[in-house]
Amino acid sequence: MGALAAWAQQVPVREVTLDNGMKFLFVQRKGAPNIAAGWVAKVGSVHERPGITGTAHLFEHMMFKGTRTIGSRNIEEDLRINVQLDQVKAELRKEEQELARRLRLGLIANAKDPAVRSERHRQLLAEFDKLNARQKELLVKNEFDRIYTSAGASGLNAGTAHDFTIYFIQVPANKLELWFWMESDRLLNPVFREFYSERDVVHEERRLRVDSTPTGKQREEFDAMFWKSSPYGWPVIGWPSDLEGITREEATAFFGTYYAPNNLTACLVGDFDEEQAVAWAKKYFGRLRRGAREPEPVRTVEEAQHGERRLTAYAETVPTVVIRYHTVADGHKDDYPLSVLAYLLSGRTGRLYKSLVLEQQLANSASAEQNTYKYEGFFQLSAVAKPGRTLEAVEQALYQEIEKLQKELAPERELQKIKNQLAASKFRRLQSDFFLMQQLLVAEASRGWQSINTDPPLLDAVTAEDVRRVARQYFPPEGRNVLHLAPKAGGGPRGTGGGL
Amino acid sequence: MSTRRQTLAALLGAPWALRAAEDIVKHPRELQFAPRTFTPPRGADFRHQLSNGATAFLVEDHDFPLINISVTVRTGEFVEPPEKAGLAQLTGSQIRAGGTTARKPLDFDEDADFLAASLSSGIGDVSGSAGLNCLSKDIDAGLALFVEMLRTPGFDGERLQLAKSQLLQSLERRNDSTASIEQREWARLLRGTSHFSARQATKASVESITREEMAQFHARYFFPANFVFAVSGDFKTADMLARLEKAFGNWPSPRIAPPQVPKPNFTPKPGVYLVHKPGVNQGRVRMGHLGVMISNPDHLAISLMNSILGGGAFTSRITERVRSDEGLAYSAGSMFMPGTYYEGTFTAAFQSKSETVAQAVAIIFEEIEKIRTQRVKPEELDTAKARAIEALPTRFATAASRAGQFASDFYTKLPEDYWQKYAERIRAVTIEEIQRVAQKYLRPEQMVVLAVGDADAILKGNPDKPQFKLETWAGGAGIVRIPLPDPLTMVYPAG
Repeated sequence: MGALAAWAQQVPVREVTLDNGMKFLFVQRKGAPNIAAGWVAKVGSVHERPGITGTAHLFEHMMFKGTRTIGSRNIEEDLRINVQLDQVKAELRKEEQELARRLRLGLIANAKDPAVRSERHRQLLAEFDKLNARQKELLVKNEFDRIYTSAGASGLNAGTAHDFTIYFIQVPANKLELWFWMESDRLLNPVFREFYSERDVVHEERRLRVDSTPTGKQREEFDAMFWKSSPYGWPVIGWPSDLEGITREEATAFFGTYYAPNNLTACLVGDFDEEQAVAWAKKYFGRLRRGAREPEPVRTVEEAQHGERRLTAYAETVPTVVIRYHTVADGHKDDYPLSVLAYLLSGRTGRLYKSLVLEQQLANSASAEQNTYKYEGFFQLSAVAKPGRTLEAVEQALYQEIEKLQKELAPERELQKIKNQLAASKFRRLQSDFFLMQQLLVAEASRGWQSINTDPPLLDAVTAEDVRRVARQYFPPEGRNVLHLAPKAGGGPRGTGGGL
Repeated sequence: MSTRRQTLAALLGAPWALRAAEDIVKHPRELQFAPRTFTPPRGADFRHQLSNGATAFLVEDHDFPLINISVTVRTGEFVEPPEKAGLAQLTGSQIRAGGTTARKPLDFDEDADFLAASLSSGIGDVSGSAGLNCLSKDIDAGLALFVEMLRTPGFDGERLQLAKSQLLQSLERRNDSTASIEQREWARLLRGTSHFSARQATKASVESITREEMAQFHARYFFPANFVFAVSGDFKTADMLARLEKAFGNWPSPRIAPPQVPKPNFTPKPGVYLVHKPGVNQGRVRMGHLGVMISNPDHLAISLMNSILGGGAFTSRITERVRSDEGLAYSAGSMFMPGTYYEGTFTAAFQSKSETVAQAVAIIFEEIEKIRTQRVKPEELDTAKARAIEALPTRFATAASRAGQFASDFYTKLPEDYWQKYAERIRAVTIEEIQRVAQKYLRPEQMVVLAVGDADAILKGNPDKPQFKLETWAGGAGIVRIPLPDPLTMVYPAG
């Protein structure tokens, strides 16, 4: 075993918290040419409300638009134009609201048709274009990216999820101070320029990921059905009408609440001088002012389900069954046996594959997962029906596998197999500095980074009795949420049927 | 309105900056960094020849108790007969999935899973691969399973039936997503329908594949002289070499020359091609033409030119204009990939709502014309060079990536000093050369433009910007409509 084998049992993280509440996690990996660097804002779509869905993600895009120093040749003029743009946009919104009213009453068929616009609407659009063009002349395009790229940093990106927004990059080990400069600057002095064209970019991202994929809309429909009261029910990317309506003012208010240092944690993994890093953290990020008040936890919990829900959606895809049950949030004591239950069912030697795919020949693939968020969680079974088999038959076979686990204890060797795999994966997932940085930040946004060290022994301690207990507790018939994705013709000369 | 101004000033203005420390530089360009020197490691220093003819690259890494063995195999889809399209892919997956001559598939899988060993195999267009990842304490058992799988695959009949059923199910759905339609039609437009790289499996070709054909395929290409090993992890090199000798040494290699990858014999026809896919609100576009070989001495200058044009993500012109200026796409850029076996391609691509497809196409044509006719700015070239040179250490950052890079370079016969000379060659490229290669290798008159999406909406364009029409680039022939083929036979309906 290598020198760091023991290391992998407990990832050695040094935690430093600044006076303003911002936390830093340092992990040493000697010899690495780059430092994996990132930070997480503990905010995601779960903190939104109807009307501003998609804001957390749009915000993530805006964080690359520069600062008072980066991105403009004339910051005063740039900020002045931003204000003017917002004023014109506010006037435009009145015009759009009028068109929306007329659309609602059936007076017009298409609110986007240029022909239905008023003279004032047209003037405002022209003014808006003119202001944009003027601002464009002042821009130093994508300067934030350019500075990092020219310095040899790579992989600059970010991601938004239900519970968190994460920003990351790999910087050459000798240029760590650049990261401190750049990241503290964009938190201290951000300028959300190109706000409205970036909103269009996000809308294209939505078309790319959801609207124009074979099952994107149907899966969104299923999510909306599954969550009754919880904010996990709307998509991270947001509803289209919200994307078109979010204002810079709303985005700025969002920033003020959720991007205060007391809601942020940064992480560095690589070869660096820790004392120097602490000094830079204080020097650069110490400038940020603690938020006026702590962001509040999400208030709305998912209300109990009182009956089975079913959705049959027709899509250009293989015939698929998905079954979901509400379970527990990340880190609940039952999260561990539910995870082990999912492993027992999944994979090449998992029960679903052996039973549904190999023995009964009902499905061409099948899997299960326990999926947890910070505030809620669900267990999901899914399978693709073999041609000629019905989705109903596949669905029943999935229930039977759960029933077996409710009746009989899983054999010791089967459980041991899962634990062997968990033990190996504990090492595998620590190999990449970049991935480790991301895992620490994601864990931090939910229960705290320590779970990366405390979860493995809890998974290892799960017994066959625990698995049977959760199998009996979390899968009542009235808790089912069932999606049937039934194939429709995929185009071309032959209508291609499928499993139905 | 004054309220908003105040809000903005409060949030973005002076109060936050008051505490700015005096000694923080005003702009990051004023920061000073210790120099970093990086000399790429040489594959030759890690290369070993096994007695059976196989080549192995071994890189030790004792951070974690894991060992990773990757094998690249000299084979690929290019060797399969056209009427057997799917044979290489099925053989590749069934080496892992079909058990061994000594063990039924499920027994093999249970043993591997209990050991927490990850075993894999596959065959792609111009190479095959197999892999083992296990805890270093389990290397004996893991290696035994790996050799058993590689040398004596069982090609179990039931598993083959299952794999065929899965493959046929996916063929049936090949017209579902615009992304897969785009990929397929692009290969056909650029390489012609008879070249292996554009070949498509059909129901008939898949159903005709037998166990025996897979076994023959395996016997013909899977032997040590055709293997390149990349081994990394927690071992001592001498010890690992001895293990590899023991595991693979008595496996004889027949004297058969490695297969040659065939070049396409096809000239793409410039024009605008349109595939109608109803029900989607976004069009996917690829546009481009044939490119160069990696042996072309201009390929690094071309790569820098493309980095400025559209290959450098947010620091490139196409991304800047299509995405950040106009908000027309989430992803927009270009690739100029040199070919290893035959000339590569230049491809620009984006996805945009149907109405604005033509506008984004126009912007890309404009940018191509601009880089051909006007010199790039010094800072653009500097960024592109820094991006290329500074990214070099990342390529060799981990033991696994070093071993993998060495094996891949050896497999593709990259010159041995390629990475050692890389930075120097990149630095030497001048602005004049960028313009020369842009003029020589970007050929607007040869552009093939492929759009997949709602054809009516794409052709209608944006009522706010009627000046942009897809027809503009279609030439005299007009836009060529490509129908969707029968997904199982790949027969395209007549006009």
